[in-house]
Amino acid sequence: MTTGFGAAGMLTPLVIGDVLGALDSVGVPIPQLLQMADNIAFIALAAIGLTIIFGMMGVINLAHGEFIMMGAYITTLSVNVASIPLPVAMLLGALGTAVFGAIVERTIVRRLYGRLLDSMIVTFGLGLILTQGTRIIFGNSLQSIGTPFGNVPGYTYSGYRVLLLFAAIAVLGAVYLVFTRTEFGVQARATIQDPETARAMGVDTDRMYTITFAIGSGLAGLTGALYAPSATIVPGMGQSFLVESFVTVVTGGSSVLLGTALAGGILGTINAIFSNLYGNFIGQIALLITAIIVIRLLPDGLTGLAATIREKIGERQ
Amino acid sequence: MSENRISRRSVLATGAAGVGAALAGCSGGGGGGSEGDTIKIGVLEDQSGNFSLVGTPKWRASKLAIEEINDNGGIMGQQIELFDPDPQSDNQRYQQLTERLIQQEEVDALWAGYSSATREAIRPIIDREDQLYFYTTQYEGGVADKNVYCMGPTARQQLGSVVPYMIENFGTDIYTIAADYNFGQLSADWVKVIAQENGASVNNEEFIPLSNQSFGSTISNIQEADPDFVMAILVGNNHSSFWNQRTSAGLEIPMGTSTVMAQGYQHKRLDAPALKDVYGGFNYMEEIPTDRNEDYVSRYYDRWPDAGYANEESINNYFSIYMYKKAVEEAGTTDQEAVKEVLNGGMEITGDRSPEGDISLQGPVHHMTHNMRVMKCDAEHNITVEDQRRIPEQFLSETVGIDLSGPDSELEEQFTPTEYYDAAGE
Amino acid sequence: MTDGRLPSRLDGIARKLNGPNTLGNSKAFWLAFAVGMVGMIAYPLVRGSYAAGQTSLFLVYGLLALSLSLIWGYTGILSFGQVAFFGIAGYTYAIVSLNLGGAFGQTVALPVAVGVATLAAFVLGYFMFYGGVKNVYVAILTLVVTLVLETFMAQTAGSEWAIGSVQLGGFNGIPGIRNFALGVEGASFSLSGSGFYWFVLTLLLVAYLGSRILVNSRFGYTLVAIREDAERTTMLGYNVKRVKLAVFTLSGALAGLSGVLYATWGNYMDPSVFTIVFATIPIVWVTLGGRESLLGGIVGTIIIERLRLWFSVNASEFAIVFVGVILMTTVLLVPRGILPGIRDGYVFFSEHGIRKGIERGRGTIQTRIQARLESVGVGGSETETPPSSEAVRE
Repeated sequence: MTTGFGAAGMLTPLVIGDVLGALDSVGVPIPQLLQMADNIAFIALAAIGLTIIFGMMGVINLAHGEFIMMGAYITTLSVNVASIPLPVAMLLGALGTAVFGAIVERTIVRRLYGRLLDSMIVTFGLGLILTQGTRIIFGNSLQSIGTPFGNVPGYTYSGYRVLLLFAAIAVLGAVYLVFTRTEFGVQARATIQDPETARAMGVDTDRMYTITFAIGSGLAGLTGALYAPSATIVPGMGQSFLVESFVTVVTGGSSVLLGTALAGGILGTINAIFSNLYGNFIGQIALLITAIIVIRLLPDGLTGLAATIREKIGERQ
Repeated sequence: MSENRISRRSVLATGAAGVGAALAGCSGGGGGGSEGDTIKIGVLEDQSGNFSLVGTPKWRASKLAIEEINDNGGIMGQQIELFDPDPQSDNQRYQQLTERLIQQEEVDALWAGYSSATREAIRPIIDREDQLYFYTTQYEGGVADKNVYCMGPTARQQLGSVVPYMIENFGTDIYTIAADYNFGQLSADWVKVIAQENGASVNNEEFIPLSNQSFGSTISNIQEADPDFVMAILVGNNHSSFWNQRTSAGLEIPMGTSTVMAQGYQHKRLDAPALKDVYGGFNYMEEIPTDRNEDYVSRYYDRWPDAGYANEESINNYFSIYMYKKAVEEAGTTDQEAVKEVLNGGMEITGDRSPEGDISLQGPVHHMTHNMRVMKCDAEHNITVEDQRRIPEQFLSETVGIDLSGPDSELEEQFTPTEYYDAAGE
Repeated sequence: MTDGRLPSRLDGIARKLNGPNTLGNSKAFWLAFAVGMVGMIAYPLVRGSYAAGQTSLFLVYGLLALSLSLIWGYTGILSFGQVAFFGIAGYTYAIVSLNLGGAFGQTVALPVAVGVATLAAFVLGYFMFYGGVKNVYVAILTLVVTLVLETFMAQTAGSEWAIGSVQLGGFNGIPGIRNFALGVEGASFSLSGSGFYWFVLTLLLVAYLGSRILVNSRFGYTLVAIREDAERTTMLGYNVKRVKLAVFTLSGALAGLSGVLYATWGNYMDPSVFTIVFATIPIVWVTLGGRESLLGGIVGTIIIERLRLWFSVNASEFAIVFVGVILMTTVLLVPRGILPGIRDGYVFFSEHGIRKGIERGRGTIQTRIQARLESVGVGGSETETPPSSEAVRE
């Protein structure tokens, strides 16, 4: 296994193995727990790029799946053609997609702010071009790269898929820090809340939009990069992330971070439980039905609920 | 809004745009097909969309066969003219293009479609027009239609080669995982039927939606049940993720299949050892070590240097175009009823025309007797032939008892095993 | 526009057809429309039955586009799930007509299928609008419902999934749906080729004119008011929820009618009508054609579907790339859609005269190029700014 993750990467599964052993001894159903971690990671990572672009900029990016595909392609090609170590290749996948996102924002999306639905059509068209263009240039599939790390010690479960949960948490944490603790984050949020005032205060709002869009695209690319060693690399692969990502975005509501984390957690858990009990089909239906119920009961998504609760607690105090 | 200011010309333009759009673009209806000095063949295979991975080799092999025939003087001195628009893995598009090829181009024979859903989508049109149609994918079996010739092996033929081999070598406790749609469910039924015939039993069965690509719980369930072997009837790009996940999860149980490797060449696309100890029942893989096949494979890659693989169904397109040539020559005409008449009498396909080895058409049921092989993939993803037998189509010919060349010559049906076997459908 | 020379009843209808909510109210428009209709009616006679058969599919899709124009273009509610009602009606038609059999069965199946689709739209609409679901959430919710249907229908392959004698067929769908027929046993006529074309054309014409009357009525004004400002419309005393529900149900019925015709066109129904790709296509038709124009959606449908077919025949693997390029450029260059674009272009030239119009156009282009250069280069330009996410949700 040529992973290049080094000793630290190899240590982590061992630690996980110990922890799981301890949990197992107190009667926690471990396979179900692993499945849950896998699903939560998938749903959160599938959604994060889309959430940023939609939540912060009000653009529905129907090419989101193709951005994910692009990240996976750059990663896979870097490993296969240029023999770049996997972690570096993943970084390249994320960066390459971010650069592409910046170009798309500058040339196309910029003209469509405030035209939510037109942005859907344009990005749908972009998605068609990206999928088919990839097919024309690189053929119907790429040689995939193997999954690193092997199984979770003691369990028949891919260790890599479980580690992705930690990747998802790290990504959400990083996004939180970038948007709350950095100069850029403050300016970006100011731009989104009140562009006029922000501009008057000397913020280069154009740049903020470009960077925000690039970050959203880059995170989609990163998702593709992270799943590249575990999925089959075909031009249409982004489609399989699309449904989960949209469902998560609306279920989560307007707050980028809290929404994705909450929705990812709840939907992933429900999906895992129902898949285990009644099979994959029921698991999928349960996921979709949950989304419908949440949207119906909480028109502002889970974030809206969280905000309401916070307000109520505030009132009592 | 100020529509009232608009006057005549704008509005004429508007109206004309609508009519123009409706009328433009459909060139030359009616007519056509009257030249008589070419034979027209329609090939609808997916070069884009979900099925392009498996559809493109079919298109390439068809084109190779037609070019070879044309270079060698055509059919009865007539060159073949090929119509091959891209149906984009879209069933509505298939319907439109099938209508077009039949009505406007007036093709003499049609090859079309990868999935069974596509075949069922266009079969009403085929039957309405009595169009000679070759369906070349390996499929669930049971189609008995006066106009349809099924060139691929059926699930019973494929599973009939691999399941008995697996039972003999690994044991009688079977776990089936199958794609949750028609083909997967019927294939799972056939596994049960064949298992029962060979003294084994399917003790677990799990159906997996086509959109599923996370196999964690499936893999845990298999490990827990610890069967002697798994029959994995997985289909499509999402399901290909299973093999990487299985390997990294450390699941070492041998697996049989009828749908992996020979069609989507996963052993070439996935990093070894993802397909270690996978056994498939197929009529063809490009690795078959015969002179005849090696010669074919080199012709194929000479023509298509960028090709990824010569898959199982591509070879069915290849030999069936030669079979059509032979039938036309025997009939002495391209008249479709006359050609069907010849085909209904059965036919042997031998020599270079059939890279998989000599095979024959079972005229009365419109299916092929194939050379079915058990192919094994090892840890380095090398393919070896473990077993080889000629297996005829049995379900329609023996169990149901169909004769499309005689009493059933007007049939347009698909039969399923549930009605004929107790083991199926339980 | 009426000048008193028309008989009073015709005059009344004309009054109802015209109004500020539709594009094209002048006599010239109706003249052009009539010429267009004559062309459409004569089409099968000129091009033959096969061409008519192919084109009738585009007209069927045109009905679907019209249903979306009503709910989205006029009421401002983006339904991503029109194909759900389309598919429900198609499946219902297949099940009912194949169970009953014969021409009578098919005649009965049409209203039943449209009825089931209408009911489905009513239930979903009630659930959404009386539950406070709004804006982009309506779009996603309708999409999710469509995807649930896809997931569900795709796994109904087993023999236990049958209604009466009809197997639902899972991924492979229901084959063998008969061509539409009217009448009872012994006294019926079956519609195919040109006959089916005229039948669909008539339905489309009736639906179009009916929709025109609707949107130019008091009800239509309420729809537009809701689109422009739902809050204010509520304050003015309108029952916005009820109006939304009514128009959603109506557009579900139209989509259902389209679905029935689709099932009889291809003699086949399968779950691919519930996929995200097929769900997106009607939105593309209506956006490109012009969503605030009833005719726009229909014209957009016909143009795009013709192009898609033409490309798939003539451009092999580049077909999809071209379609993508066309979608992007049209939205960027003609933001309001093709028909309103033509209208705007004409208004512009008729106001300013051809020469002045061209001069002004040149001026505008120069200013725009300058603006673009600045925005890419030195900066300091005033590009359009996105609204905050709250604004999007209003």
